[in-house]
Amino acid sequence: MTDNPLPRPLALLAEVTYRCPLQCPYCSNPLELNKYRDELDTETWTRVFNEAADLGVVQLHLSGGEPLVRRDILDLVRAAAGAGLYSNMSTGATVVDGKRLEELREAGLDHFQVSVLDTLPESNDRLAGTPSFDKKREAVLGAKRLGFPVTLNVVLHRQNLDRIGEVMALAQEWRVDRLELAHTQYTGWAFKNRAALMPTREQLDRAHAEVERVRAAGTDGLDIQHVLPDYYFERYPKACLQGWGMVSMSVAPDGYVLPCQTAREIPGLEFPNVRDHSLEEIWERAPIFQRFRGTDWMPEPCRSCDRREIDFGGCRCQAFLMTGDVTATDPICELSPHHHLVAEALKEAQQGDPPLVYRVMPRDAGAA
Amino acid sequence: MAQPITTPVLAPGTRYRWDKVRSQHQLVFPEGMIVLNEPGRAIVQLCDGRTTDELIAALKEQFPGAEPDDDVHEFLGHLAQRGLVREGAPRD
Repeated sequence: MTDNPLPRPLALLAEVTYRCPLQCPYCSNPLELNKYRDELDTETWTRVFNEAADLGVVQLHLSGGEPLVRRDILDLVRAAAGAGLYSNMSTGATVVDGKRLEELREAGLDHFQVSVLDTLPESNDRLAGTPSFDKKREAVLGAKRLGFPVTLNVVLHRQNLDRIGEVMALAQEWRVDRLELAHTQYTGWAFKNRAALMPTREQLDRAHAEVERVRAAGTDGLDIQHVLPDYYFERYPKACLQGWGMVSMSVAPDGYVLPCQTAREIPGLEFPNVRDHSLEEIWERAPIFQRFRGTDWMPEPCRSCDRREIDFGGCRCQAFLMTGDVTATDPICELSPHHHLVAEALKEAQQGDPPLVYRVMPRDAGAA
Repeated sequence: MAQPITTPVLAPGTRYRWDKVRSQHQLVFPEGMIVLNEPGRAIVQLCDGRTTDELIAALKEQFPGAEPDDDVHEFLGHLAQRGLVREGAPRD
């Protein structure tokens, strides 16, 4: 493993802002949003995109927060296109109109990805903490009219999973190209809300059967991505990031470079900043990228496991959040000495519905 | 089995790209990428509104002596199945 040449990253996640009009209770942004107010300017992002292309990045994900609240978002899209990157935008689509969509098209945006929280407008609006369903619908239909490939992303949890059939019907009605049925990943705000969001086993079995039924009936070109949640369905952890520092990197709004966008919540890790170093220096030499790269860092039971280069020990953030030890084997693994924590979390989730804690950010935070 | 494509065009959001870092021909699309070999590149770049028959004729000019008919149909069928190539001819 360590003898192989270092691969070059294929994907860069650019979280251009943490500001967002929505308050989704499973947001992957950090809990202490107010700590990270100093956003990179247009010029620095442009340099980062050019450095990313030179380093081998193919896919750029413009995300946030809500990327469309950046006043310079068109300049950022132009910079991505100018660097030769394939540009994806992940948006809540509540601050975009037909004119802005046309401008994004003109600027060279390749792919438009919209989150919808639920198929019931009132449930969508309640989860988002703000009226937003109708705006999302308008944006999706508008983007399709302009010829964008559109992905609908729906984060699934206990409160909307029973409507997975309606979710697939909505995607077909809006004629989107791809549907991501994304089970909640329990990091960031979602970890805080885990007991309120974790579905039941019965819900998941029904949902899985419904997806299979719709697929078998034919989806008329709609590509449905559905990955079952690891708490229930896996004996082994997911190959998080396809390996730490192997395929992708994230740049946070304030320029800190992370192997994964949720890693900044792990205390004791130090992250480099694009204001001080080039992306290439960071990818190749920053200690944080070396830290969990490959297999040398692994404790038992990973170290001697046949699967160590299949799942790379699982998710570092999940390991830390569940065990307090960032180097631990991901507790999802049945070989982990902490595996009992999974059963305990599932049990806790069956004890009723605690109130959701919504993502909040002081209104004056950040500036672009 | 789907009908063979008569006029192949790249699906919205699917585009050819030369990767200067890896010296690779790539077909990139939302959330993915495939690496093309030289004949694959030639086929993809000819998905520009011409018919499949015209595409094959053009390939034969680019690669004299080749008999690419079956490979072209198979490759386009594969790309269509993945949603990367669509029928560009107006439907009746």
